[in-house]
Amino acid sequence: MASKSIAHDVAAYQDALRFGLDGVKGEIVGSHPLEYLRETARRDLEEKKRLITDLTYGSAFSLKMDLDKQILSRFQRPPGMLPSSMVGLEALTGGLEDFGFEDYLNMPQDAETFRPVDMHHAMEVHLGISKGPVCPSFT
Amino acid sequence: MAKALADAPPKGGFSFDLCRRNDMLVKKGIQLPGFRKTGTTIVGLIFEDGVILGADTRATEGPIVADKNCEKIHYMAPNIYCCGAGTAADTEAVTDMVSSQLQLHRYATGRESRVITALTLLKSHLFSYQGYVSAALVLGGVDVTGPHLHTVYPHGSTDTLPFATMGSGSLAAMSVFESKYKEGLSREEGIQLVSEAICSGIFNDLGSGSNVDVCVITKGKTDYLRNHQLPNPRTYISSRGYSFAKGHTEVLSTKIIPLKAKAEVAVVDAMEE
Repeated sequence: MASKSIAHDVAAYQDALRFGLDGVKGEIVGSHPLEYLRETARRDLEEKKRLITDLTYGSAFSLKMDLDKQILSRFQRPPGMLPSSMVGLEALTGGLEDFGFEDYLNMPQDAETFRPVDMHHAMEVHLGISKGPVCPSFT
Repeated sequence: MAKALADAPPKGGFSFDLCRRNDMLVKKGIQLPGFRKTGTTIVGLIFEDGVILGADTRATEGPIVADKNCEKIHYMAPNIYCCGAGTAADTEAVTDMVSSQLQLHRYATGRESRVITALTLLKSHLFSYQGYVSAALVLGGVDVTGPHLHTVYPHGSTDTLPFATMGSGSLAAMSVFESKYKEGLSREEGIQLVSEAICSGIFNDLGSGSNVDVCVITKGKTDYLRNHQLPNPRTYISSRGYSFAKGHTEVLSTKIIPLKAKAEVAVVDAMEE
C-alpha cells in the first residue's frame, strides 16, 4: 500500500515557476489507502454481482440491466431546485434497502464549497444552448 | 457502467480532502494532535431466558471526564441492543446506521430482526473501513433462534461467547465473570453478576466510572434499567444551588427552524348526493 502514495506537494501549485507544475499523479492515485480500498471494494462487489447475474441469467440479462441503469441514472430533476432522489436507479441496484454513511454524513449539498446552481443557466447548458460549466466551482 | 455512475448525483460519506494536507504538514515537522485515550467497561452475559448487557456511564476525552452519565447501551432493534466502546461518535454512528438498516429490512420482510443480521452488517461495515471506524461492540439479543451474544472488534472480527467484556475495563470485568459465571443463571443473579462486573471496572479502571446501566433482553420483552446502580453519588451540592442569571452567556444570534409546518384542519360539510 505504501507504493501507492506518490510525493505530492500541496503548496506547490501556488508558485509553478519555482516548484514546477503540480503533479497530476498524486490526484489520480488518491490521498489515503482507505480511499483506494473503498473504491476497489465497491468495484469488486459490482463485478462480482455482474458475474453472478451473467452466470445465472445469461449475459443478455446483465446487458439489459446496464442499459436500464444508464437510462435511469440520466432520468433526473432539472438542475438547481432539488437533488434527484434516483429512486428508479436505487430500486434497480438494490440501493433502496441499503443505508450507509454516504446517505446522511457529509452530504455534498451541505458542504461549505457548495454553491446553488442557477437553474436557467444550467438548463441552457444541458440543452446545448449555452456554453460553459453548469456552475462555477471552487476547486 | 462507469458512465451510469458518472451521471448519478454524487453522494456523501468519508471525505479524504485533508489527508494530503496533513501528510504535508507532518513532513514539514508539525506535530498533529494525537487521538484521545478512550476508556469504557461494557459486558454481556447469557442467562436462563435471555441476554443481559451492562455498561458504565463515564465518557472520557483523554484525562478529562467529558460526561459522567452517558448512555453506552444503544438501541438496534426492539429485541437487539448493543454496547459500544471506543470512539463515542463512531459507536453511535455505526449502531444508529445499522439500526436504520435493520428497520428497513423489517419493513421489507415484515419479520423480527435476527441478531446474526445485525452482526453481519456491523462486521462487514467495520471490516470495509479497516479499523478506521473505531467501534468495539458487545451485541446481544433474543430472536427466533434463541439468545445470542457477540463481541465485535474494530477491525471486523467477531466472537460468539456465553459471557463477554469489552473496553479498557474488560480485564477487571472478565475476572468477575470467570470466577462467578455459571450456566442457567436466574434473572436476579444475572443482573447482580453484571452489576458486579461493571462495578469492578468502575473501581479498578481509570477510564470507567460513575453509574451502572443494565439492559435485560428476554423473549418478547426488553427492560432497559438506566442507572440501575449509583455507586458514586455526588457528595457535595451547593446549598445555594447553581442557578445562573439570565444573560450570563451572550446570545449572538438566534434562528428557529420549525421542524414541520402546522397542518390546518378545515371542517367541510359532507357533500350531499
